Amino acid sequence: MDDVVTAPEDVEDTRRPAYGAGRVLIFVYGIFALAATARATVQLIRDSSEAMFAYSLSALSAVVYVLATVALAHNGRRMRRVGWITVSFELVGVLTVGTLSVLHPEYFPRDTVWSNFGQGYGYVPLVLPILGLFWMWRSSPARIAAG
Amino acid sequence: MSWFIVGCCLVLAGWALVLALRNTSVTFNQLIGAGVIEVALIAQMIVAGVSLGGGHELGDPVTFWGYLITALVMMPVAAVVAFAERSRWSSVVLAVAAAVLIVMQIRVNQVWMMS
Repeated sequence: MDDVVTAPEDVEDTRRPAYGAGRVLIFVYGIFALAATARATVQLIRDSSEAMFAYSLSALSAVVYVLATVALAHNGRRMRRVGWITVSFELVGVLTVGTLSVLHPEYFPRDTVWSNFGQGYGYVPLVLPILGLFWMWRSSPARIAAG
Repeated sequence: MSWFIVGCCLVLAGWALVLALRNTSVTFNQLIGAGVIEVALIAQMIVAGVSLGGGHELGDPVTFWGYLITALVMMPVAAVVAFAERSRWSSVVLAVAAAVLIVMQIRVNQVWMMS
């Protein structure tokens, strides 16, 4: 029974916790995962024949939001890699679709989450991946352990 | 019904923000408030279902029910965060959840009026 490890009582860990403010970010990601999924489902049920490209994009963004939410919440080693990829993908997605929808509105007869840089959602889709990338950098276990 | 929910959400969001500013996490009384909102959301679905049965025409029923069903998720998830995160940030999450519910109720009202 010598190998039982007990925490020394006089040691205090002053390093900041892994979550905290990040939970708000994860929650907002969750809302977007839900909203994008619901929106894609509604669009595909209601009028799937009308604008297949825009609606497929909605469905794709929904999948990416769900993946990003799970990855941020899980925060494991491999999941963090998934997090980096999905959050970066969102940033690229919102910038590409945003620019395209301004320059060539005819490609997007129906709105997607990312149209006009996420205007329909108060530009949150544009801000979210930037905050997400910042959080991925800040919450890096290596940085916290060193901190 | 909708305005009752919006009112409750406003109160809960304000309350949560005050606690967040005071650096406090979500309290049990707030979770009771969240429970009241949840019950009101379910009551709203029943009321909507009854008046649709009574002849109210909806222009866009899929969107309408989509909003009502998604709204049910908000408060339970905020409650889970309240237990997991015992810092001021759970209060921020609760405030965000209540604010999102307000926006959703406004959209529900718009869709209800469209026929």
